Amino acid sequence: MKRRKEGRGEVFSRRALIMGAGQLALTGVLVGRLQYLQLSQADKYATLAEDNRVNYEPLAVSRGRIVDRFGVELASNDQNFMVSVVPEQVEDIDRVLSHLQSILGFSDQYSAETRKLLTKAPKFLPFTIADNVSWEAFAKVNLNVPFLPGVQAVVGEKRSYELAEQAAHVVGYVGSSRNREGRAQSSYFKGRAGLELAFEDNLKGEAGNRRVEVNALGRIVRELERRDGNRGDDLSLSIDAEIQKTATQVLGDHSGSIVVMDAQSGDLYALASTPSFDPNQLSSGIDEKSWNELLQDDHKPLMNKALAGLYAPGSTFKMIVALAALEAGVVPRDHDLECTGVYHFGGQDFHCWEKDGHGVVGFDTAIARSCDVFFYDLALKTGIDAISAMARRFGLGRKTGIEVPGEKAGVMPDRDWKRANYAVGWQPGETVITGIGQGYILTTPIQLAAMTAALANGLHLPSPRTVMGSESEGSQELGLDPEHIALVQSGMINVVNDRRGTAVRSSINIGGMKMAGKTGTVQVRRISKEEREEGIVKNEDLPWALRDHALFVGYAPLDNPRFVVATVVEHGGGGSSVAAPLSARVMKTALARKSVIEAQQALKAEQG
Amino acid sequence: MSFYSARASTWQDRILGVNWTVIGLFLAIGCVGVLTQYSVAGESFGPWAWRHILRLIVAVGLMIAIANLSLRTVYRSSYIIYGALAAALVAVELFGSINMGAQRWLDLGVVKFQPSELMRIGIVLALARYYQGIEASDVSRLRHIIVPVIIICVPALLVFRQPDLGTAILLVVIGFSILFLAGLSLRYFMLAGIGLASSFPIVWTRLQNYQQNRILTFFDPERDPLGAGYHIIQSKIGIGSGGLMGKGIGDGTQSRLNFLPEKHTDFIFTIFAEETGFVGSLILIGLFIALLIALFFVARELKTHFGRLLVAGFGVSLFLYFFVNLAMVMGLAPVVGVPLPFVSYGGTSLLTFSIAMGLILCVDRQASIDVGR
Repeated sequence: MKRRKEGRGEVFSRRALIMGAGQLALTGVLVGRLQYLQLSQADKYATLAEDNRVNYEPLAVSRGRIVDRFGVELASNDQNFMVSVVPEQVEDIDRVLSHLQSILGFSDQYSAETRKLLTKAPKFLPFTIADNVSWEAFAKVNLNVPFLPGVQAVVGEKRSYELAEQAAHVVGYVGSSRNREGRAQSSYFKGRAGLELAFEDNLKGEAGNRRVEVNALGRIVRELERRDGNRGDDLSLSIDAEIQKTATQVLGDHSGSIVVMDAQSGDLYALASTPSFDPNQLSSGIDEKSWNELLQDDHKPLMNKALAGLYAPGSTFKMIVALAALEAGVVPRDHDLECTGVYHFGGQDFHCWEKDGHGVVGFDTAIARSCDVFFYDLALKTGIDAISAMARRFGLGRKTGIEVPGEKAGVMPDRDWKRANYAVGWQPGETVITGIGQGYILTTPIQLAAMTAALANGLHLPSPRTVMGSESEGSQELGLDPEHIALVQSGMINVVNDRRGTAVRSSINIGGMKMAGKTGTVQVRRISKEEREEGIVKNEDLPWALRDHALFVGYAPLDNPRFVVATVVEHGGGGSSVAAPLSARVMKTALARKSVIEAQQALKAEQG
Repeated sequence: MSFYSARASTWQDRILGVNWTVIGLFLAIGCVGVLTQYSVAGESFGPWAWRHILRLIVAVGLMIAIANLSLRTVYRSSYIIYGALAAALVAVELFGSINMGAQRWLDLGVVKFQPSELMRIGIVLALARYYQGIEASDVSRLRHIIVPVIIICVPALLVFRQPDLGTAILLVVIGFSILFLAGLSLRYFMLAGIGLASSFPIVWTRLQNYQQNRILTFFDPERDPLGAGYHIIQSKIGIGSGGLMGKGIGDGTQSRLNFLPEKHTDFIFTIFAEETGFVGSLILIGLFIALLIALFFVARELKTHFGRLLVAGFGVSLFLYFFVNLAMVMGLAPVVGVPLPFVSYGGTSLLTFSIAMGLILCVDRQASIDVGR
């Protein structure tokens, strides 16, 4: 054993002290850092920790139903059979997918797509493989669930429209708004058109939500707070499913619209527009091809023609001209005129539809036989501004304010309007053709229905409405001389019931209840002088888009009118040959329902 | 192995004669581990807390047993232990099992162990033994530098190849700390520093873009908030949200909801800090500092250079693990998978530190014994 040199211990002591000091300094850094994290920044990190931990989750509620005036379902919620998988529970995804493919029969491409999406989806949340599965397929999947770990057969909700195409435009349709994963378990519906859109807030109800604590993977650990929602309110319509169905059926393959309205209250019993579409298909996700077909169809199936179809009213406008003339006092009530088939004015010939003329006609007969010459003359005597003012009192050229979205205003021209929109001022010749409802004037079927209701009740212009008990804008008093109204009404009665009336072939008699009305045939092309001399080409020989529009407005019964019908058949031909018979068929159905409807109204009034 | 028997050695003596201040501080820190593991498991003693208690008891037994070994025997076995561990590292290289992407474990049938952990003891033992035989004036001679550098670098390179960069760096730092304590001229440390600093730009430019990115993320985890940085960000949220007093034992949301990885091992401090706050964290840091000071006093009383270097070497290694772990979870250092001594769950780490503490107790108990050269 040698003696150790003294230097070693001293060096060690010195250096150990240096090292200890360094360690203390480094520990000081740690304490400083702790002070920064836990004291200076504590609030920030506390917030971050809370954000980490808590998530909000919506809880779906059932959408309110839409029912007709008798509670018949127009839109309801059906069971939606869905097949989904929870990725983390699946042992062999390829086996599961091919098994499901053999039952559900989806394409290889869809299978590959699904497989790809599945790899990105959260592992613990159900991922929808297929929805709207048939009951048979659903039952088969259910049977196989024990052998396919991770597969779930679940029942969700889907929107179902019982009348399908027949009430598509008024009821509308929904779209399912899926959440960001693309194919989440439950779908939430959102109104996209019609009343589904207009009453979205009432129908959707109040979605509940729950505050949940989640772990780092987003898996729910526990529920902290739960607020159950309220299911959507049911929407009760004034529509009568039976009348609505008839209206759609009688239109058949025509492109057009039939509106049936209460002559007093403005409640709509039917709002039909054809051709239509299947809202069930649109709500469950329509393929692009079918959607493009709907968009490109020249009969415009997606358009609600009752509200958005703009048509010249044609001869259905003659009552307005008559009332304007009578109120202005330009002619007496017994005013008459001889129709020779042509009216000369300003170097132009204005023809009557009756080539050989009607002979001597008064207000009553001119309306009943729809004499054009009488109204050419009457319009000129009255002047466009008075006619226009009267038309506006009947709601023409302005939106009625109906709840169904998409309504158009139309046009009711006068001098001011012409000056504002054209370089040239109003021409007297334009007053002449306005006398028979042609020219710039454009109206919608719903406006014509409201106008007819006002003519029928003689007192007020009702605001059309589709929803029971909804606040309507309030009807407007007409303030017209009852004798003037009676004169016009007698003309309308004779249209259908006089043997020389234009719609006599469409007269009806349901237990003594008869219909009054007015036909209209609207030219959509100009007829040249040469053609007039050679003989006018018949509608059947023209291409569809050049044929005349056929119109009819009517009301029934004659005393205490209940129902109003307004029919427009686009390029349908004549008002008396096409529109009037269709209207008569609808009116028959409506009159058959009259006692039921009135009994219900009485009951409501008693309760209300 | 022969027990030290110069004094009358009753069982009582053997147990009570050791430095209970050191054991007491060790147990206090160990209890922090038990508490946190109990909390992390959802306030349950299973699966970690009760095993940790068991291991602490075994560790204390092991320490006392080692404390009663003859210092001379330990001294004489130093190179053998070092050699055996180096051989084990080679064996890992050849037969080791792959775990978490790195080859670290050696399966001996009954026990699986990580020779790289134990090598910390091996290096300290071998270096202390080497310097015991060298005069202060000879330490900085080139001849006496080569051997210690080989003692350090051979195992460090083997560990680096596993690959475990973190442990390899720690081995090198521990080794060179002993060189520093032994009195190696500061010139060499400066030279090494300049060499490292000047070679860095050359190495950096030769790296591929993705390698540079990986290193940048290694040093600044928030560059990659969804990948490597995620754990650090979540850990900082955990510590920071603890505030002054903490959320209470068992109420740490970051850990309970699995926002943290390795929460019962490497990230255990985060949980402790989240649940006990700034106050609790300071207490834990204070316990470590107290233990290091206790070791400093032990070293000061020692007669042999071997003993001093042994205690100081183990002290440095304890401090390094403590510092690197805390710096890591607080976002001050790269994520290097270093456990917090006595607190993190894990057998090998605790076993290694217990052996080191046992050896410290051993030299402390035989402070007046000389071991020769």
